[in-house]
Amino acid sequence: MAEAALAIEGLVTGYDRRDVLAGISLDLAEGALVTVVGPNGHGKTTLLRAISGLLPTRKGVIRLFGRKLAGLAPHQVAAAGVVHVPQGDLLFPQMSVHENLLMGAYLETDQAVIRRRLEEVEALLPRLAERRDQLASSLSGGERRMVGIGRGLMMGGRVMLIDEPSLGLAPIIIEQVYEVIARLKASGRTILLVEENPARVADLADAIHLLDNGRIVWSGPPHDLLERDELLETYLGG
Amino acid sequence: MEILGPVLVAGITTGALYALATIGLSLVWGALGMLNMAHGALLTIGGYAAFTLATLLGAPWPVAVLAPVAVGALIGAAIYLLVAQPLLARAPRSFETNVIIATFGVAIALENAVLLIFGGQPFGQSIALPGHLQAGGIFVPWQNVLIVAVVLVLMAATAFFLARTRAGRAIRATAQHREAAQLLGVPVGRVYLQVLALSGGIAGTCGLLVSSITQLSPTLGADPMLKAFIMCVVAGLGNLPGAIGAAFVLALIEAFASYGLGARWGFPLLLAIVILVLIWRPDGLFGRAAVRRL
Repeated sequence: MAEAALAIEGLVTGYDRRDVLAGISLDLAEGALVTVVGPNGHGKTTLLRAISGLLPTRKGVIRLFGRKLAGLAPHQVAAAGVVHVPQGDLLFPQMSVHENLLMGAYLETDQAVIRRRLEEVEALLPRLAERRDQLASSLSGGERRMVGIGRGLMMGGRVMLIDEPSLGLAPIIIEQVYEVIARLKASGRTILLVEENPARVADLADAIHLLDNGRIVWSGPPHDLLERDELLETYLGG
Repeated sequence: MEILGPVLVAGITTGALYALATIGLSLVWGALGMLNMAHGALLTIGGYAAFTLATLLGAPWPVAVLAPVAVGALIGAAIYLLVAQPLLARAPRSFETNVIIATFGVAIALENAVLLIFGGQPFGQSIALPGHLQAGGIFVPWQNVLIVAVVLVLMAATAFFLARTRAGRAIRATAQHREAAQLLGVPVGRVYLQVLALSGGIAGTCGLLVSSITQLSPTLGADPMLKAFIMCVVAGLGNLPGAIGAAFVLALIEAFASYGLGARWGFPLLLAIVILVLIWRPDGLFGRAAVRRL
């Protein structure tokens, strides 16, 4: 079996004295899109923060193509190839769209590579080219989300973590965001996606994990989950 | 009317010096949320570093001029590594308050070190341009021209560095969103170190310039530091262009008030204006919430 792009075994982490994740294990194969769904406040964002080093691992192992990530600082995890598109975008408000994108390529020093990535990102997200010199703080919610994704793509990493890309957006904009994510998957990117609503990823995800109270309570293909009314009812409120 | 010329020259020169002192203070506040109370001491040490090399050791002037930059940058970096970093790591939530007290201690220690080594008597700074130029009936000492020129060059260089270089962009990114910068691979600890070193180097240079038109004493940096803090607050903490503008305007007001009302009235009038501004706009003229970060 090929080595997993991202392998998590028995991950325990949390804030202060409280464990939020109580032993999570999951694998992400190269080129796959795996989704973690679950109610708010049950550890989805915490999982991504632990992978990218923003939260220290208390127990368990996280491996990126076999390399252990535990103990690395966030900037070192980024350098190892993890791209984290955080919840709420976290753009640099007083920088232009262009500068935000350039910050994505902070670790890349080859100007030719940076130019090529910029062209790719602007081809995928043409709105960003139109808004190039506008301050990030002046963008609409959907545009901000696109800059967040574009900035992540500028990193050129090997595994993308995307945290609730639909959060706070109008339905029509959510559709556009998911079109972009579908194109990323089609281009062969490896993606771990956190989402609240499993129906949104039904046709997109290779596998889905249901996270509740810091544990994975169900794993399988997305359509199977959508047919399990009792699970949807219990964990996602129908 | 003849007297207005020299007052204008004095006001602009002082404004330039305040602006330079403000840049260093504002950079550190903008990037780390750290009010560096030792900033004034860095100015003092910059002045003494140049004096030591030029006057006591007889070094050529280019070396003596670079000494304040190097010494200021080194002490700035040491303040980060020995004081700010441990405070930030152990108690990030109370960092902004703790670091004020801690750097106040550093300021006292540095000032007393200067007092112990050089004594309390004032010295003249030997690095200064002699002579003056005459423009439209106004005598302008060359040293004042040099000060304004150096400050303008340093301001332009700092602005270029922050806006156009990779390292400068990383500083602004860290200032605007520390966590996002980390996720993109920015080593924020190193960025903070660079900011403190840069601020220290600028402060050292500012100290040399201040001492070139006044005198060297262990409290040399106290007045520019106080004024720089006032400029920062008036403009809204962390707002660099606003603080530079405020520095020139307030220095001119102070100079003309000192001339018109007497030397004793310059500073009180300045403070009165600051109080009125803060009553009118509590977050500073340009609003802290919107433009607090670099």
